[in-house]
Amino acid sequence: MSFKSAVITFPGSNCDRDALYYLKDLTKGVVHNIWHEETSLPKVDLVILPGGFSFGDYLRSGAMASKSKIIDEVVKHANDNRYLLGICNGFQILTEIGLLEGALIRNKKLKFLGKNCFIKKKFKNNFNLSIKDNQVLQIPVAHNEGNFYCDTETLNLLKNNEQIAFEYCKGEFSNTEENINGSIEAIAGITNKKKNVLGMMPHPERAYSDFHQSQDGRLIIESLIS
Amino acid sequence: MNEELILQHGLTLDEFQVIRKYLNRDLSIEELGIFSAMWNEHCCYKTSKKWLKKLPTDNEIVIQGPGENAGVIDLQDNDGIAFKIESHNHPSYIEPFNGSATGVGGILRDIFTMGARPIATLDSIRFGLIETEKTKYLLNGVVHGIGHYGNCIGIPNIGGECEFESTYDFNNLVNAMAVGHVQKDKIFYSKPKSIGGLIVYIGSKTGKDGIHGASMASDVFSEEDEDEKRPSVQVGDPFMEKLLMEGCLELMSSGLIESMQDMGAAGITSSSVEMASKGNVGVFINLDKVPLRQPLSAYEILLSESQERMLAVIDKKNNHKVREILQKWQIDYEVIGEITDTKRVVFESNNKKVVDLPVEIIVDDAPEYDREFYIPRKRKNKDFDFSKIKLEDMIINLLTNLNYLDKSWVFDQYDSTVMGDTIREPGQSSGIVKIHGTQKVIGASTDCNPLYIKINPYEGMKYTVAESYRNLIACNINPLAITNNLNFASPLDPNIMGELVLSIHGLKTAAIKFNTPIVSGNVSLYNQTNEIPIKPTPVIGMVGSNMDLNKINTNKFCEIGNKILILGKQLTKNCSPYLLQDQKIAFYICEFNDLEVLDLDFEKKIANCVLELSDLKCIMSCNDISRGGIFSALLKMQHKDMGFRVKVPDPIDLFCEYSAGYVIEIRSKDFEEVTSFLTKKGAEYLEIGEIIKEGIEINSKKFDYFDIMNKYRNNFEKIIS
Repeated sequence: MSFKSAVITFPGSNCDRDALYYLKDLTKGVVHNIWHEETSLPKVDLVILPGGFSFGDYLRSGAMASKSKIIDEVVKHANDNRYLLGICNGFQILTEIGLLEGALIRNKKLKFLGKNCFIKKKFKNNFNLSIKDNQVLQIPVAHNEGNFYCDTETLNLLKNNEQIAFEYCKGEFSNTEENINGSIEAIAGITNKKKNVLGMMPHPERAYSDFHQSQDGRLIIESLIS
Repeated sequence: MNEELILQHGLTLDEFQVIRKYLNRDLSIEELGIFSAMWNEHCCYKTSKKWLKKLPTDNEIVIQGPGENAGVIDLQDNDGIAFKIESHNHPSYIEPFNGSATGVGGILRDIFTMGARPIATLDSIRFGLIETEKTKYLLNGVVHGIGHYGNCIGIPNIGGECEFESTYDFNNLVNAMAVGHVQKDKIFYSKPKSIGGLIVYIGSKTGKDGIHGASMASDVFSEEDEDEKRPSVQVGDPFMEKLLMEGCLELMSSGLIESMQDMGAAGITSSSVEMASKGNVGVFINLDKVPLRQPLSAYEILLSESQERMLAVIDKKNNHKVREILQKWQIDYEVIGEITDTKRVVFESNNKKVVDLPVEIIVDDAPEYDREFYIPRKRKNKDFDFSKIKLEDMIINLLTNLNYLDKSWVFDQYDSTVMGDTIREPGQSSGIVKIHGTQKVIGASTDCNPLYIKINPYEGMKYTVAESYRNLIACNINPLAITNNLNFASPLDPNIMGELVLSIHGLKTAAIKFNTPIVSGNVSLYNQTNEIPIKPTPVIGMVGSNMDLNKINTNKFCEIGNKILILGKQLTKNCSPYLLQDQKIAFYICEFNDLEVLDLDFEKKIANCVLELSDLKCIMSCNDISRGGIFSALLKMQHKDMGFRVKVPDPIDLFCEYSAGYVIEIRSKDFEEVTSFLTKKGAEYLEIGEIIKEGIEINSKKFDYFDIMNKYRNNFEKIIS
């Protein structure tokens, strides 16, 4: 049975094409590209909310996109227990919709950060099944607001429910700080309670081809397909 | 018309008399505004035209040379590459964030106006000495602005250069370059196709920003001007540009557009005049139809430089479809005029013709000057005492000089991996991206060596071209073509004019030898403030390709134990005093010593050896030798836990920037093959050492590897904070 997926494009999305290629190359199945004003979503296994600056990041990153017409369908898709992945701006949109806890605030150094980062999995879920414990993944980040924040109560919930999917870590020979953007407990990605919705700041769609510096981004799709 | 008004518009009284005589009537204020915009250096190249004409602009791969929004070269099959560099110097000094952001916005529009999707940006930025607070403010603002605009649109920044030098204290430089991919059968030009075609306005509403930007950019600055001129810096909105880009590319791929021109410097005036001139037709535009952000006079509409706007010509029958596509992208769209057969530019406002001018007088009769220039006197080389220089001091010099340190602080603020096709990120000898869906890669590098050009404009320019050339060769990228950005001080000074003329001559010589024609460019003159002229800074952006991405070289060490060779001009003991990390030596050299003649044939021969050895897979890694000499090249090649052990006749020569060529890493088992190949080709080489684990050793002297690498990587941020 082939794996079906879709990528939503908002005005200002700029990683939608990258996400489409990522899915096409790795799933070998049908991939739909859905414009934000659509009111229906085909029945697919995975939906990606891609990175970028939806609506120019005006108001607050992800805030405007979370009110787009297609979002009702995206929520239904998630409630149906199917996979939803928000990458970078997609993660910000998921927190704005309320499908994920917490918020993404400005990076600790108050500067855009575009470089390789290193992450490892924290708690097991269907998005990171193929990743070994303590395996360090090298994946690029590119964000201004990637500093994950939540209150202590929420943090305890995330821990108790094992919703933390990825955390930043030190890379071998790397000059980069361990907690690259100052996220609380170095959180790089979280899921919802049911663990079918994942938001992450690093861009796996920029680390999968043979010519990319790393192919670790494949592991997420491989986890979902396996 | 009173003299003061004419002079305020940047025209000389002689120039005004030419217009007055041609028209045989008085000009309207709007018409004066048009001449002000079209007859300044920025738009008509009145000083540089005579010399620019001498540059080679064509060969078998050039599809479009200078004169369009961007140059285009052939990359086989149906692939073309559009690219151009442009300056935004003055705006970036007045308002660093918006000035540099709109510089990126402008150059991206130049690329997608041709029907090309931008796939990479580069830049070349120069500031004064970091000791002044102003420089820190400018550096932060410029880097933030470049990053903000490019990151938001989602075009990877793949490289550039960043230099600090005192003559840029009050006149920083911001040059932005963009590269796009276009299908050869879908290139769009600014020339309209048919009489009666509708002229349509696409993009942001017009406001007061940037009025007289183009003539400001051609002015000499004084410091008091700064506050007064701030309102004429444009404000950019990258989100709008992203929508505009997607909307325009969709219109073009749907075949709904005949021609397109971006409203850059001098806004609607220059874009419509260009269209009329290119097509040898006339234009009629009703200014009342122009979408406005605030009430504006006809004069203001004509000269506004509001960003993110395009002018296009469409067939009447496509009007509805065009509107539909642009509505989807939420972009303003208005039919504002039509192409006529009058060969006149006519603007109407409130049912009154405010401008009615023959295209000929604006474009063809634009002034062209043959300004006086002096050729610099030949320098006398002074003897230099090498014995006083210590190796340890040279290393400290290098690790405390911003110009030689790792600039991740800058690059990390740019998104260099968006679009998923980046192969080499900034900070390496050249940035490289893949053409999506193919095995082809494009490499690009921006370079300039203002000190060399100051010392000897002709030879110095050859060095600058050679530096770009080497940057590409080191990655096994075939150099193909050049875009240039000539930044100079006032050409009214014959010494400065001499620098301009001679460096163009040097550019020509090198471009012909390397078969890399100049396909696009930009000139920025009057870069001086308070009578301090900048060093001559003719920046070039060179683009090259390799048809097979698996063949490109890395710039980083691959394996411990591999041998290190240098290739190129042989390292003779104390060959030259170009030890420029030392400020005192740099000053001394700038005062007295001339440059040695650069042998371009030799340069080509060595380059061909690198390319052939790379194709034979004999080169494990390669870096060019430029600033900071061999030592700096080796530091840049450091990777993971690898360091180097080298032995040379005199370690001081490791810092000489002059004896240039390449550092290559080869496997021991390939040593015989490589050296006999080089001997056969008559290429000089020297085995200088090997790659070792976590160490730096020079002529048996051991240095603290971690301390040096740590300083090399982190000192930039420390110094600028």
